[in-house]
Amino acid sequence: MNLFRSEEHVARWLNGREPGATITSGKLCELAQAWWGDRLAADWRPRTRDESQAILERLGLTGEFWQLP
Amino acid sequence: MEDLTLRNLVYRRFVELGRAPTLDELGTDEAAVRRLHEAHMLVLEPDRPEIRMANPFSGVPTPHRVEAAGRSWFANCAWDAFGIPAALGVDGHISSSCPDCGEPIEVDVVDRRPDPAEDVFHVLVPARSWWDDIVFT
Repeated sequence: MNLFRSEEHVARWLNGREPGATITSGKLCELAQAWWGDRLAADWRPRTRDESQAILERLGLTGEFWQLP
Repeated sequence: MEDLTLRNLVYRRFVELGRAPTLDELGTDEAAVRRLHEAHMLVLEPDRPEIRMANPFSGVPTPHRVEAAGRSWFANCAWDAFGIPAALGVDGHISSSCPDCGEPIEVDVVDRRPDPAEDVFHVLVPARSWWDDIVFT
């Protein structure tokens, strides 16, 4: 899971491999906030699979690629 | 020590130390941290009871360095790098590099937004397989 300078850099790095998913760093920032924002809270509890999936869906990260097991 | 109490202590010590705490520093034993590993609350090294990850923090050096609140940590990946300021609730600075060209990527996180915002984030592994090999992911 890496930052690249642009989508062209992603494509070159993949070198013919099947691409995964690419999002903007702005969307990544939102995702990180939603995913990790509570990680140091004293009342932290593990999220359920459905709660994690709901975070992805709220951010528009839907489809087969973003489906958690 | 209860599992959640130990888990919270791991995270607190990670923040304070800027690195993974040792079992001695936690005052615990291998069986206890292994339970947290099995529950995906942290990740141990495959061959020894040392903490490799307490996501978003990394116990080993990586290409993703984060400075925030006057301290610094390594993150496991770019997602986790943005996760450290998020978890701390502060602004931060991320130093990474483009895996394609090797050029440095420096990003400030200010008020939960990246500056600059031109870089892109690529996830190679689909979500269903993230925990199959979390170190590779």
